[in-house]
Amino acid sequence: MSGGRSRLVVPALGVALVAALLLATALGSVPLSFRGVAGALLAKLGLPGDASALGPTGETILFTVRLPRVLLAALVGGGLAVVGTVLQAVFRNPLADAGLLGVGSGAALGAVLAVHLGLASAVFFALPLAAFAGAMTAVLCVYFIAGTSGRAGLHGLLLTGIAVSALAGAMTSVMLVATEEYRVKTVLFWLAGGLEGRGWTHVQAAAAFVLSGAALLVLLSRPLDVLSLGEEEAASLGLPVRATRLGLLGLASLVAGACTAVAGAVPFVGLMAPHALRPLVGPRSRRLLPAAFLGGALLVVLADLGARALSTRFELPLGALTAFVGAPYFLAALRANEGRG
Amino acid sequence: MSSREALLEVRALSVERGRRRVLEDVTFELALGEALAVVGPNAAGKSTLVQALAGLLEPAGGEVRLLGRPLAAWPRDARARTLALVTSLEEGPDSLSVAERVALGRYPHSGPFRPWGAADAAAVARAIERTGIGHLAGRRLGTLSAGERQLATLARGLAQEPQLLLLDEPAAHLDVGHQLQLFRTLDDVRRGGVGVLAVVHDLARAAAWAERMLLVADGRIAAEGPPGAVLESPAAEEAFGVSIRGVAIGDGTEKLWRFEART
Repeated sequence: MSGGRSRLVVPALGVALVAALLLATALGSVPLSFRGVAGALLAKLGLPGDASALGPTGETILFTVRLPRVLLAALVGGGLAVVGTVLQAVFRNPLADAGLLGVGSGAALGAVLAVHLGLASAVFFALPLAAFAGAMTAVLCVYFIAGTSGRAGLHGLLLTGIAVSALAGAMTSVMLVATEEYRVKTVLFWLAGGLEGRGWTHVQAAAAFVLSGAALLVLLSRPLDVLSLGEEEAASLGLPVRATRLGLLGLASLVAGACTAVAGAVPFVGLMAPHALRPLVGPRSRRLLPAAFLGGALLVVLADLGARALSTRFELPLGALTAFVGAPYFLAALRANEGRG
Repeated sequence: MSSREALLEVRALSVERGRRRVLEDVTFELALGEALAVVGPNAAGKSTLVQALAGLLEPAGGEVRLLGRPLAAWPRDARARTLALVTSLEEGPDSLSVAERVALGRYPHSGPFRPWGAADAAAVARAIERTGIGHLAGRRLGTLSAGERQLATLARGLAQEPQLLLLDEPAAHLDVGHQLQLFRTLDDVRRGGVGVLAVVHDLARAAAWAERMLLVADGRIAAEGPPGAVLESPAAEEAFGVSIRGVAIGDGTEKLWRFEART
């Protein structure tokens, strides 16, 4: 039943993503010709292509501004969608995302701390590093507290995640209030989520975590599927439930932390992409994870393009745009499904 | 029977949940190819017993041996290839197809990485055929009735190709047609040499199906033996708080069971 048509989903998404990447690199405040962009990219890859059509200015825009931004959009979107897919299977809830583990609030606290201490402006790449450290600290707190209180089960993790997130949120508010006004805007920009001014360092950092993390998660598809049957059934099938869950959530946290560190909060991607693709390819992770990666990448590349296109008098935050699209979509989807995904 | 032929040996098993002792001094055996029904009033400890036998609960005392080897000494995957657990608790994603659901029963054989082989496909096809859900194989779980989902769970258990099949209230959601299908499948499995232990709520159904019956009441074994003898024992009337009477029908090998409130 799910054979023929669903096999086409991943190739179709792949083609659409390549087209969207080209479109997003060509369009912008300084439009570049498609042929010029394609030629320059092919030449860069050592393939027969004409690099001259863009001219030196066009080439600089392409390789130092447009391309890293667009690739980062794809990595962040793909990473967040994979994380959402994994968490929804682990928690057996179509509403699960990385926020449950404290990733977002921990990253925000780390970012605010870096800005408050003046590190963000003094040290290159300090803000993403601090955000990543904050996210990982929050996740480790959640695991540690849930584990030592004897509540390492799903329910305990959820409740602990909410409590730790609330605590980190409160600390972020205090830090924001205590931060000099001219620095607050840096934090606000980061919190709103966006890819403005990101360069190749961001791409490399995100790629290292997102690509390796996503690949490992795809390799662990089978244990993930078994885990999605519920703890008792998974254990009866010989799965070491606690260790598997810890490993999967750990990998997902690393990916989510890396995405949030380079792009700030980009909400709803982890919910929308898997939710839209599950009916097409089914819930099995070996199929759904690659599809979700491509779908999430496509979504954020297009969202970032939209954010740039709509930014005339001020930069519209990417995170706000995904929320504007994601929230109504998700409410409609929930209504159509009467609650269960 | 000698301990080497026994599939399952339970010796003085006791199990605690929190600090409460739920099972106390449970001793019995199950042979390959034998059908054993576990009956008892609500909260007697039947589900706890099944979970302990499946290795999901640590015993507080006593021992469970599977094929002569202590249950705790079995590696997880080998244990899941030898015993399968089927309960009425079912939490799989609604968008999973029946065939995919059954295929997850091959996990103990395939592990995380071994490629899917012909033996796996054959076991899944056979499990689907034996449970009579071939016409549902492509359907998603969310579109099935509770009874059909239960049969899919049973098929998952059969796909594990176990030697011991443990069932906790497998007929809980089934209408009479699906119940007949279920117990027919269990008979078929048992004749294939698999030991089947099932917690069954419906006493008449349990008596008709099982070769031996275990009455669990208040965490202990209150009676054990042929189903007719167990149901007609004072212990059964005591445990359920009703009067139980078997009326021979047909050639006398079958009985019609009457349950009445005690006055």
